[in-house]
Amino acid sequence: MNRMETMEKLSGVHGPAGFEGAVARTAMELLEPLVDEVHLDRLGNVVGVKACGREGAYKLLLDAHLDEVGFIVMGHEEGFLRFASLGGVDARILPDRELTILTDPPLFGVVATKPPHVMAEGESDKTIALSDLRIDVGFSQEEATRRIPVGNPAVFREGCYALGADRIAGKALDDRSCFAVLLETLRMLQKSALDVDVYVLGSCREEINSAGATVGTYGIHPELAVAVDVTFGRSIDSPDEKTFPLGSGPVIGIGPNMAGWMTERLVKKAEELELPYQMEVMSGSSGTNGWEIQVSREGVATAILSLPLNYMHMPLEVIHQSDVENCSKLLAAFIENLGEEAALC
Amino acid sequence: MEYRDLLEQLIRAHGPSGDEEDVCQVIQRNVPATVDEVTVDVMGNLIVHQKGNGPKVMLAAHMDSVGIIVTHIEKNGFLRFGALGGLEPKAIYQAPVRFRNGVGGVIAVNENKAEKEFKLTDLYLDIGAADETEARNLVAVGDTAVFAAPILKNGTRLISPCLDNRAGCVALLAVMQQVKNPVNDLYFVFTAQEEVGLRGAKPVSWSLEPDYALVVDVTCPDDVPGALHEGTTAVGKGTAIKVMDHSMIAHLAMVAQLSRLADEIGITVQKDLLKVGGTDAGAVHVSRSGVLTGGVSIPCRYTHTPTELIDQTDLEACVELIRAFCESELVRR
Amino acid sequence: MLKLTRQLCAISGVSSREDAVRDFIADTLLPFASDMRTDPMGNLIVFKEGRKHTGNKLLLDAHMDEVGIMVSGYTKDGCLRFSFVGGVDRRVVLGKRVYIGTERILGIFGMKPVHLSTKEERKSIPKLESLYIDIGAKDETEARTLVKLGEVGVFDGESLLFGNGLLKSKAIDDRAGCAAMIKLAQEELAMDCNFVFSTQEEVGTRGAFASSFSVKPEIALMMEATTAADLPGTPGGKRVCAPGSGVVIPYMDGGIIYDRKLFEQLRCLAEEHHIPWQTKEYISGGTNGRVYQRSCGGVRVAGLAVATRYLHAPTSVAAVSDLGSMLRLARLFIDRIAEED
Repeated sequence: MNRMETMEKLSGVHGPAGFEGAVARTAMELLEPLVDEVHLDRLGNVVGVKACGREGAYKLLLDAHLDEVGFIVMGHEEGFLRFASLGGVDARILPDRELTILTDPPLFGVVATKPPHVMAEGESDKTIALSDLRIDVGFSQEEATRRIPVGNPAVFREGCYALGADRIAGKALDDRSCFAVLLETLRMLQKSALDVDVYVLGSCREEINSAGATVGTYGIHPELAVAVDVTFGRSIDSPDEKTFPLGSGPVIGIGPNMAGWMTERLVKKAEELELPYQMEVMSGSSGTNGWEIQVSREGVATAILSLPLNYMHMPLEVIHQSDVENCSKLLAAFIENLGEEAALC
Repeated sequence: MEYRDLLEQLIRAHGPSGDEEDVCQVIQRNVPATVDEVTVDVMGNLIVHQKGNGPKVMLAAHMDSVGIIVTHIEKNGFLRFGALGGLEPKAIYQAPVRFRNGVGGVIAVNENKAEKEFKLTDLYLDIGAADETEARNLVAVGDTAVFAAPILKNGTRLISPCLDNRAGCVALLAVMQQVKNPVNDLYFVFTAQEEVGLRGAKPVSWSLEPDYALVVDVTCPDDVPGALHEGTTAVGKGTAIKVMDHSMIAHLAMVAQLSRLADEIGITVQKDLLKVGGTDAGAVHVSRSGVLTGGVSIPCRYTHTPTELIDQTDLEACVELIRAFCESELVRR
Repeated sequence: MLKLTRQLCAISGVSSREDAVRDFIADTLLPFASDMRTDPMGNLIVFKEGRKHTGNKLLLDAHMDEVGIMVSGYTKDGCLRFSFVGGVDRRVVLGKRVYIGTERILGIFGMKPVHLSTKEERKSIPKLESLYIDIGAKDETEARTLVKLGEVGVFDGESLLFGNGLLKSKAIDDRAGCAAMIKLAQEELAMDCNFVFSTQEEVGTRGAFASSFSVKPEIALMMEATTAADLPGTPGGKRVCAPGSGVVIPYMDGGIIYDRKLFEQLRCLAEEHHIPWQTKEYISGGTNGRVYQRSCGGVRVAGLAVATRYLHAPTSVAAVSDLGSMLRLARLFIDRIAEED
């Protein structure tokens, strides 16, 4: 399966925070050929284990979250659905937005929007709060209530496409594109003799409270961890100092959330391999699973590696193929002989 | 109706977050003698163990209520206070309160702020003291007080302070009395300091290491005039199964199991989703390597005011559902 | 105690880069410690045996880190963009000095003069994104060679005694706590003590997660600095505490309700031994206590603090007498806990 096919597969399956069953199954399928064993933990995290065979080897946790932002039904009004978001969604992008309602089988929905002649002067300039929006599912009140009960989840209805020569646009690339990075990294390391036991954590619930990473890390009890998540790509309307151009390489995190020696090791490896890379300074929380991972039990030496991504938490997010490639190469180089350096720190 | 007396006993006991000793003792007095073990841990959580051979099940209900704590005594005898739990200035304005030692007071607002939007720091507590000396004879900085309002009853409807979460505590005590031969290994935990951040639940979950957890608390309904639709339940429409709130998403398997059990025992249930607000489940489900966590909720209007409102039939339905869960075959995961 | 506090305050140790502080403390305590180790989060855990062998029962904590800045970018003309490490009110840095990296490169938080500011501009403080540090580099290239991304900077804050027994310095929060713990660790103690010199408190009480898990004490005493707002115009109910009015024994803050019995014990000890004490008359602030209390199966937590004006700013102010009061009360507390079974 090539990269585009992997992205399409991961993007095409649905798993909003708290309801990741389907995407966990797909992730397990993709992970299985690359590790010794895969299982689901209590909360629904996917855990894949690749032992190095050395006694007393350190455990390295590699995390990428499988959940996407989504919605959940809160009530019914004249056949239309009231809903809340699962994770952070910008209400401005919702009017006339197509959704997949995750019933069995899935149903179609679209966020209702008022036509111009019904709106007041200037009303179309204002944002409608999410709590005032309704989803049109084309049913009567009775049928809507019966077929789509309160508590039912929903996701954006979008696909995964090649954009231009070297970009990919797709639903849920935050953070499935990084899970794909982990798969590519494992493929690169298949023939290598490692000196750390690798635990791949396809975590759930990052978008709401990182619960998956919290319990997953506790269960695995690693000494070392790398959280791979997306970061803000640079689009024409975004501020320069907080964003990273697509195609300019994976982003290495530096700051209190990251162990200094791991940041340095990532930079060193990138330079050795002459890979493009960027630095992201985070003076407090990284806003990723890395924040929870770092303070598990007696503490975990943590690094954060990110993929620049545009239009985060929108139905179509965009990444650059070369960043995926370089991120995997960098991570693979980081992992080789990691145990040796970790023992000294 | 025997729940009512028990409920009234618990409501009258003093037990704001961090000062739960009294209510803890009242609960202990009502624990049946047939249980296997009763302990109180470092945080003040009360743990009642009813041994069974099955997986470990933790049933949790917080025993603390919201309240206030004296922070400063003015020279003129008025008191300044901090909140114990989430308090809305508008909701507690002119509320009567009572200290553990019986001293009463009323919450009022700085007169110059009365017409505008006021904050918690614009409020003060008046205990009728003439000056600082008299005030210091009655209370000290660090003393706690809770709402002091009557318990009103209209048929099965109750209007009272502290229904959040003495109603949940009563539910657990009732289940404790009704479950004779537990199939599962049951731990009834009356937690401390939930209202200030789920603080009791976190350490006790770590200590007990349960396989399953069921958290019993009140939930905010969506059935009042001008409702903002932040919740999905209604008072009097049965017990509510927690699906989601701000602190967690209930384990799907737990929601499914509780729904199935409700069906089997023939009670109507509602689904409980809340946009804002959390319960001890938020702390329990992420303990160690995770706990299979669900929630059973009692719809309650006007929480965190002197006049909260529930329907006792919802409480009774909760008891039935929790008991069914305790007696069901659970798999060790 | 004063001399040691001043020595510690002078060392640079922004959150996550506490190495110099840790080295100083480790060197100082090496002859006195029964065991010393550094954990994965960089906490320095010093175990000192006492007359009564109580193992890990008692833990004392003071954090080594101070607030500061972290370099996050460059401007074309050679200035630095930055973000704060820890909660710093940006108003307190304008026009002040900062020392960046281990080389201590001097920088100035620049701002255009009032003469060039419009009336509108003068009404508000510039946003963090528009603030910058001038290191005297001629362009971006030079700036990049002098200072790397992610380097930290400490405020200039030489210590000085002034007024009526007051100390001004940077980092009183929490080198005052560290000094007290060093003093205690150098004495003969009534019981075993774990002295945890913790890291990264200012960015979210981070080090404490690790130390609480690896030590698992029964009782923990926080040795901190806390905000004093005893300024003219501040209503009584918001002053919190005041330098010179004694060691602060808090019953509650923004993150924890302290163990009521331990609070009473501290209060009684202070009264019995005539140690001036005060409490916080407003609920604010947070300490590592909030982590210790809910760690593992729960821990009984108490706190002591030095009342400090202008916390998290280059120039903080505390009373010399309070430093001594905190040390004395902590010592009595250890003695009292040792007497328990």
